[in-house]
This record gives sequence, structure tokens and C-alpha cells, in this order.
Amino acid sequence: MVTDALSNISLFDLFPLLFAERATDAVMFRAHASVKAMGQLTDMKIKPGCSVYRKLAGLQRLTGKVPWISSTRPAPLLTAAPVRALVDEQISIRGRFLPPRCPVTVWARMHSDEGDLWESFAHYNSNESGAFSLTGDPSVGGSYLGCEPMGLFWSMQPAPGGREGLRLRKKNVETPYLVHISLLGGHVSPSGGQISELAAVTAERWYMAPGVKRIAIHQNGIVGTMFVPPGPGPFPAMLDLWGMGGGLQEYRSSLLASKGYVSLSLAYFGHKDLPGPPDRINVGDLYFKAAFRLLQDHPQVVSDRIGIIGLSFGCYLTLRIATRTGVKPSCLVCINGPMGSTVPLTDSDGRTDQFDSFQQYWTFDDEGRVIFKDVSLPANLPPDSFVKLEKLDCPLMYIVGEDDLSASSTENADLIEENLRTAGKSHLFTRLSYPGAGHLIEPPYSPNARSSMWSVKPKKLITMWGGHPAPHAAAQEDAWKKILDYLEKHLRS
Amino acid sequence: MLQQLKMEEKPCSAALSVQPSRGLVDEKFVVLVQNTVPSCPLTIHASHQCEDGHSWHAFAHYTSDASGVVNVSEDCSVGGTYSGVEAMGLLWSLKPVPGSKPGLRMRKKNVQAPMVITISVYKGHLTEGFGDQVPLAGTEVERWYMAPGVRRIAVTEDGLTATLFLPSGPGPFPGLLDLWGGGGQLVEYRAALLASHGIAAMALDYLTCKYTMETGKMVEQDYFEAAYTFLQKHPKVLSSRIAMLGFSLGTSVTLKTAVYSEVMKLRCALCISGSHVQPLDGFLKETLGYFNENSGKTCFTEDNEAIWRNLLLPIPTDLSLKVDMKEMMERAGNSHLLTLLSYPNAGHLIEPPYTPHARSSLFRDVKSRQMLMALWGGQTLEHSRAQEDAWRKLLVFLRKNLYGGVKSTSPLSNL
Repeated sequence: MVTDALSNISLFDLFPLLFAERATDAVMFRAHASVKAMGQLTDMKIKPGCSVYRKLAGLQRLTGKVPWISSTRPAPLLTAAPVRALVDEQISIRGRFLPPRCPVTVWARMHSDEGDLWESFAHYNSNESGAFSLTGDPSVGGSYLGCEPMGLFWSMQPAPGGREGLRLRKKNVETPYLVHISLLGGHVSPSGGQISELAAVTAERWYMAPGVKRIAIHQNGIVGTMFVPPGPGPFPAMLDLWGMGGGLQEYRSSLLASKGYVSLSLAYFGHKDLPGPPDRINVGDLYFKAAFRLLQDHPQVVSDRIGIIGLSFGCYLTLRIATRTGVKPSCLVCINGPMGSTVPLTDSDGRTDQFDSFQQYWTFDDEGRVIFKDVSLPANLPPDSFVKLEKLDCPLMYIVGEDDLSASSTENADLIEENLRTAGKSHLFTRLSYPGAGHLIEPPYSPNARSSMWSVKPKKLITMWGGHPAPHAAAQEDAWKKILDYLEKHLRS
Repeated sequence: MLQQLKMEEKPCSAALSVQPSRGLVDEKFVVLVQNTVPSCPLTIHASHQCEDGHSWHAFAHYTSDASGVVNVSEDCSVGGTYSGVEAMGLLWSLKPVPGSKPGLRMRKKNVQAPMVITISVYKGHLTEGFGDQVPLAGTEVERWYMAPGVRRIAVTEDGLTATLFLPSGPGPFPGLLDLWGGGGQLVEYRAALLASHGIAAMALDYLTCKYTMETGKMVEQDYFEAAYTFLQKHPKVLSSRIAMLGFSLGTSVTLKTAVYSEVMKLRCALCISGSHVQPLDGFLKETLGYFNENSGKTCFTEDNEAIWRNLLLPIPTDLSLKVDMKEMMERAGNSHLLTLLSYPNAGHLIEPPYTPHARSSLFRDVKSRQMLMALWGGQTLEHSRAQEDAWRKLLVFLRKNLYGGVKSTSPLSNL
């Protein structure tokens, strides 16, 4: 009955193989189609282009298969190039051999190192030739909108039903993220209900280029990981400092080494190999000076071409190292951080008091999430911890996320700029400011965490970082390029 | 440690980058040298140790521009293992290092691991002694035959000695039987690469397969039919879109199959470096027998290299007997099915692009087990261009016939 209805409306011309070669498919249609679906088919009129497919796609949701994809036509082709890339390299994703002007969904999934599932999806329409590409075509729905070649990667969110308060950070930089990208029929929401995978491609995203060496550092009390580029060198180098999350994060350093910089990611608190209680900073100026010297003394490092990059509290440390410890970095990159310590100091070497005993500047939103922004308001910082910027002798790039909810980045940037101007050193200062970007301005194409789990003891606490997906992604992409150019300029030429 | 800053040198080493640093074998890359002294003679060098431990190298002479930059995709090599503007020259011009055993041919056995190539830049225009000098910069590049997500499946059912490579995704995928030539063995790399382009490709050993090794007998048509049927029945393979790709002796099998097989209905056929001249009766044993009968026509060079190109010659001058393929098809009225690609100065071993050219190599005759040096031919530059062009056209041909269109006839591509 269904076949008769279909031949009456001359689908034969559109699908010669469907009917000529595999008559059994028609039987399957009859067997699986509901009465309602058959009624829909007999009622439909043929319009040029995709409407037939859309109606058939509707049938698909009832029958569980996409009718224009039969067993007499190969599945459409979904490709990604390059299929193995560094995380800051653009991947070109394309679909081909689809019917013309056809709605499809691209759905990306990957597991973090901790095993959490992250995903994103976007809606596209194939063109007259049955093709579409993420580099040329706009997404018309899903996790992001508009023409965003890397949108699938930066718009990822934890899959529904996962743990709360997640933040995506690569722990093991020697393995890639495996991103499984699927092409689905129609404009669908992958997590909700029936989906039909038409094609797939797997992409690898790496934080480390081939030939980069990873070296665990445990000497002279210094705790960190060093990454050395391939080749004889000598190389410029970077000291890499993160914020109050503690521990040891390697992924920015491994990427910098992949760009030709010897890079040392330095732990300074909250690490089992560091002295003293984990809830305060027990290392002082000499520790950071020793780390800098470690880079300088490395046989493959050009000793007068070393820069420092710091995010959040790492900003303060970066400025402190440059002005207090006697070392001479060639340039500094500070991202969203204070010019003084956010925790009172216990000595003149920079050791601090216990972090959580000073909560008077913590604020909370309606959902009980903590906002640290006011902690780093210049007026709230311990005056004895303010870095003496008049002593700065090297160029400084300061990067501001204007929606930073964790640090008073704009206020600190203003004060740094003012202090340098007073000291006659404005020429050293470069500011990048990004509307809609949050605190965690990281290497590009990785998802932003607007908030994430801060602590579980004594009670569960989620903190706000700020930033909205699209502007934050744009900020990360632009900032990373500018950082690399800045490092090239000051460390290589 | 203070670094002495010389006027003519920069404190930091030159920067050498290759993008992508992890690529598929048929993917182009960009080799960029930066931060060198301007207008400086430089040598870019590639070195690779293949799976059997032999060392290969390639190198080219450049001069940095006014900004201290060399871009291999845009700049001209003035000497070395290649010259001119050759983006991929560092790979296709790889040769065994001086002092190597003669007759080497680079063929990847383990397709699940990449080829690793070290690329370095040296000061000056060097032709030797690369190991003795410290390069200005160096980096590593991976070249893969297999994309992530492609599955490698050993196939031993139905008496087959084969490996199936399935692209990622649900399918169904067009299928392809991948046949190599008279050297036998189970050669996987081309099938792995084709699967990385969306084709369920099965590499088939038909000369040194389990059956032949155990019985001493050549396989018959039913062996290939079993391979075809295996693909046809596979849940992820589109049974109506199966192609056959035959290289050298594999061409003989492919053409006989395309024309005469009742069981194997090829969607399209691809033939590389082979011939349609074979006994009509019989199959593999008879074809090999025919080659054997004509073995007296083998020529040998001064260096005792075997030239086999004359085995199936001469083509009769009598026009009524002429067996030229194109002419036959024109007379029969089906020449619209034929795509003929002909490459002057390319040799026998037309393989996936950006891999080294072997003008001659050691070859073990499958039947006699005798080792000899075969002269395959080809001039490296033209041969490498041919590989690049042929592969691109091969992929377009496969996509057109296996993915697009609703034609029911079987087009033929003869390289």
C-alpha cells in the first residue's frame, strides 16, 4: 500500500535505486510504518528540494530510520581535517553526499580524563550539492549559532546526568582528547529522544606536539613539570603560573613547548611534594627565584629570554617575581589577576596565611554560589602585599575578561596602568580587554566554565568564574594569538 | 650563563614548524623556518628510520628571505634530493642514506603506528655529514596511514587471508577489495588509507595466503568470490557498491573479474600498472603460467636488474589482432566507461603520494622464492608528481562511483 502511494507521487524519479534495486525496502516500509505515517505520505505533495526529505524525516522518527538513507545508498560522508591536531589548531569539518538543502545535526562527544562526558551539537543545512562545512556555513541552532568553525569544541557542556560543577582541564597531556563527531538526520537535540547517526568521524586533539619532552621536576625543592621542544635549541623559555586552584596544571606549558618555548609549570601550593599545610602558601620569594634560575641554567635555554605567564593569583606572583626577587624576565603576561596578594602575608618573603579564614569579601549569588571578585578589589588587598610596579623593567601584557566574576581584573588593570604611568613606564604596558569574557581565559577552543565546583569540604561550594560562551571563546582565540605574537616579539627577536 | 651575542647571529635558535605535525600520509604539510639570519643559506633535512631499521634521508638547499624565513611550500630549493618549489619534497625524495644496502623499498607494515620523521634545518648548503653537525633547529612529524576511529579487523573466515579496514560511523560504506601484485604478502597500508577516506577497504593476500602456503596451490576464482561475498554480507558494507583495486598482477585479476565474473558485480574497477593480456581460460595459475612462459623476454641491465616490461609484448601490428585496451573499448562502444591516466617517466610502483620512490628494489619471486633486483622504473620527480595526481584522481573516481550518482554501469579507471 505504501509503495503504491509513493509511486503515485513519482518518487521513483528521485530514488531510482530505492525502488528498482531493493524491492524488499518497500516491504520494510510497510511493515514498520504506522497508519498515521502512511496517511501523511499519501497526503503529501511533492515540492522541489528538501520538503520531501523533511516529511520523510518525520516518518523516520516513527519508523526509527531515515528513509532517504537506504541500504542501496552509501551513508553520507563526514570528514575532519586535520584529524589529529593541536588544541589551538583549527579543524575543518565537512559533510558531503547528503540530499540537497537537507537539515542535519552535527553532534560532538568526548570524555574528560576523569571520565565525564562532554558534548555539543549544532544544526546545519546542506546546500544544493548536498554538502556543508563548519568553516563556511552558519549553525542555525544548537550549542552555538552562526559561522563558527571551532564551535563544536568551545561550546561543549557536560552531558545531562553527569556530576555537577565540572570544569574541563586536561590532566594527562601525553594523550589526546578523542572527540567523536556524528552527523544526525534532521535538526534534533541529541540528548532528547530518537536519533539516527548517519556518519561519524573521530578527531584527536593534542596538548603536545610530537617530539616535545615532558620532564617531572623535583629538585632544589622545586616542584613542577618542564616541557622541552624538540631540536637542539637554544630556546626562549616561560615560567607558567596558575591560580588559587593549587596543584600542578601542565596543559598550557605543554602547548607553549609545542610552539618552541621551554616551559616550566610550577606548583606553589596544594601539592603533596610541597612543604607545610596545603591550605596556605609555604614557599617564598626564594622558591620562585630558584624556579626562574632553573630555567636560566638549563643548557637549552637562552638565559636572557625568559618570560613569565600568570593567571589569577599567578598574576600577582608574576609581578612579584619580576619586581622583588632580582631576576630579570624579558616580558610578562598577566591574565585576570591582582597586583597584591588576596591572602594576608605572614612574612616578607610572601608566605601567606590560611586561605579560607579570610572570607569577609566573599559574596554569594541567589543560588549560593560564591563570587570572589571583591577579594581582589585593590582597596581590599593587604597594602603590604602590593607589588612595587615602579620597579618593573620589562614589558607587561595584561589581559582582562570584562565579565570576570572571580577577580576585579579591570580595577587591577587600571591601577597597574596608573602606577606605571606615574613611574614614567607606560610604554611597558599593553592591555587586552574582552567584553563577555570571564576569569578563565585559557588556550583556545576549550569550553569555558561559567562556574564550577570550588570545594566539597566542609561543605559543597560552587564558584562563579563568569564569561558567556561565544564572547569568551572569541576572547580565548584572540588572546592566545596575541600572547604568542607578544612572546615572539619579546623572546625571540 | 651569559650568551655571547654575535652581530650576525640571533640568541634564540631558528624556529622550525611543520603543520600539521600529525598528518595522514596523503595530507600536505607546510614546513616553515623562522627567525634565521636573513639571506642565509640553509639546508632543510628530513630523516626517518623505517621499521626494518634502515635510515632514509632527504634534504634541500634554501636561502632565507629578508625576514629570515623559509617556507618550503613557496620557496625554491636550489639543490639537494629535490629542487624547485616542492611542498612535500622532503617526503617523496627520501632515499636510503649512503652506504645502505641496495634495493631497499619503504613499505609500512604496522599501520596502527605512524611514520616518525625528524626534520631539521642546518646552516649552509650541506650534502653530507648531517650527523656531525648540530642543526639550527629540529622538529618531529608523524605521518599516519590510519585516521583515528578507523577499525582494523583481521579476516580469516571462509579461508581468507585479509584485513578489513572500516571507517568510523554506522555506515553503510562502499566496499573495496584491495589487491597488490606479484610480490604477495598481506599489504595493508593502502586499504587503511582508503578507509580513512570513508571506504570499507579490504586488503587481500591472494599469493601467499594461508591456503597457498599450506597446499602449495594457487587460489581460484572462488577465493576472490569469498572475499567479495564477505564484504557484501558485512552489515556495515553497502553490497551494491563494491569496487576492486588491483595493482600490477592485481590488475589481471581485477579485469577478469570486472568482465567475466557472474558472482562479483563490481561498481567500478581501478587498475594500476597492469595489463589485460592474459589467458581467457583459467584464472590465477594460468595467468602466472602465461607470465612464466614469456619469462624469456626478461631483460637484464649491466647491474643485473630485471626488466619485465616486455613479458607481454609485442602488441601485434596486425590491426585485426591489436589488443590495445582503449581501442578495444572504442570498437565495442563502451569506451565511455574508461578513464585512462598515463604518466610519462613514472615507474611501475605508483603508490599513495608523498612516499619515497623506488626505481629498483629487491623482489622475491613468489613461486621460485628467488630474490632478484627488479628495475621498476620512473624518474623520482615525475614519479612523485604522478603518485600525487593519480591518488587525487583515484579518490575522486571512487567518490563519484561509490558515493554519488545512480549509474548502473561499471566504469573503469586504468592507470
